[in-house]
Amino acid sequence: MTTLSGLRRLAIVAELARRMADRGSWCGETHIQKSVYFLQNLLQLPLSYEFVLYKHGPYSFDLHDDIVAMKARGLLEAQIKPPYGPSFVLGPLGEGTLALFKKTCIKYGRKLDFVAAELGPKTVAELEPLATALFVTASQPPGRLVDDRPQRLVQLKPHISPPDASKAVRDLDALRLRAGAACLDTPDEPCADRLG
Amino acid sequence: MAALCHDIGHLAFSHSTERELLPSGYSHEHLTADIIRSAEMERILGAVTPPLRSDDVVKLAVGPKILRDTQFTDWEAILSEIIVGDAFGCDRMDYLLRDSLHIGVAYGKFDHFRLIDTLRILPASHADSEEPCLGIEEGGLHSAEALLLARYFMNTQVYYHPVRRIYDIHLRDFLKRWLGDSMAAANPSSLLVITDVQVMNTMMEAARASDHPCHELACLIMDRKHFRLAYQLNSEDRRLHPEPGRVMFNALQDKFGQEHVRRDAYTEKRGVLDFPVLERNGRIVSSMLNSRVLQNLPTVEVDFVFADPQNIDEAKNWLEDSRVGLLEKAAREERE
Repeated sequence: MTTLSGLRRLAIVAELARRMADRGSWCGETHIQKSVYFLQNLLQLPLSYEFVLYKHGPYSFDLHDDIVAMKARGLLEAQIKPPYGPSFVLGPLGEGTLALFKKTCIKYGRKLDFVAAELGPKTVAELEPLATALFVTASQPPGRLVDDRPQRLVQLKPHISPPDASKAVRDLDALRLRAGAACLDTPDEPCADRLG
Repeated sequence: MAALCHDIGHLAFSHSTERELLPSGYSHEHLTADIIRSAEMERILGAVTPPLRSDDVVKLAVGPKILRDTQFTDWEAILSEIIVGDAFGCDRMDYLLRDSLHIGVAYGKFDHFRLIDTLRILPASHADSEEPCLGIEEGGLHSAEALLLARYFMNTQVYYHPVRRIYDIHLRDFLKRWLGDSMAAANPSSLLVITDVQVMNTMMEAARASDHPCHELACLIMDRKHFRLAYQLNSEDRRLHPEPGRVMFNALQDKFGQEHVRRDAYTEKRGVLDFPVLERNGRIVSSMLNSRVLQNLPTVEVDFVFADPQNIDEAKNWLEDSRVGLLEKAAREERE
């Protein structure tokens, strides 16, 4: 599997923002962070961002730096929409850069569409437990018989209530099934759920 | 204690030399963490009242950005943000004020007393979450804007000034030649014994002695024979290619030779400007809704290409003539 890096990686993030905006979804930094986390860790898109548990769940400092750089380079543009903060759309130089990486965007298009459709309409309050549930699922030992993911999620993010944590785990498992059924594989880069 | 220890891993000339002296992927903050965990520091921390655990101090001193395998509670994340955070970290507040004083510039000043007084831990309800995070009272918003503007001006006028940046590059070239292979083999903490004064003395000696192996590199700095700016990033060129600096750098290297050209490309790393603001009416809103300054604060991005003083005029003229053609050709060739 080829790792996407440099401008090609930025193009994928810009394309994600475009597809989310096209659907009328909110696309703040949290939406980009969690969507990229799902793309990378559920759908195996080789973006190689390192995620740690931080702001609103899994968070990549490198991705944050990339978003800042994309804004500076005109790939993304922030629009301020009350009641929340900025939402990103493609910037003035976004189309030109995406044109350089047309094949890459087509290759991963179905995965990008899946994530944009599934996560785009969600609020930050919904994304936070869902992404943390994926983080907890990915970090538990394989073959574990007792499903204590909701308890673990509450341990890590105490402001999330136990019912919300249980719902997030159920929603995640349903999302994984939908991802499997959608057959998003590309010939050389399968996206089979590796979480067991 | 964590705040006091935050910078103990800095080598001579601070950030300038870090990339050359330390192993790849290992920064002064990693060195800070290793020093805090050393037996010597463990003894010191254990002897204070109440005793401190080095793991707690490390967490707050360097934060989750560096300790990526360590889990932080919400409160540990906030406490470390108070020290190392990109937006309101006291490390940044301190270096802006201190650098401004020592350099003698008017930029870099802001009302840090007011800012610290108005910092609050708030739920992130401005972002539709209840997660606690660092925010500010409405009355402190102008101080926060002043801090971020101070940083912007210090970045553009001081830290990323092209002449200052080329001196960093020459300093790194000098250290690489002076320390040679011993640098790569060295234990990072052993490099802490090299001081700014020692480097400056060696550089002066090298500049005076024409047979010194570092003579020419030392003269670039000591005799102000530094490379001159041949090209800098501009928005017009970016419309033709997303990375014009790289294209210009490669073209100049091909024409004049690698040793006669240097490049310095950097985009500012900065924290989230979207933080919660506690309004006087008790509502918590996004800073971006309340501040036109934060909405429009540019990100500092530089991409400089420097050429040897002997070639600078020719390099500039050649780039002016070939710039558009080079960028269009690169964009055609790199298109998928």
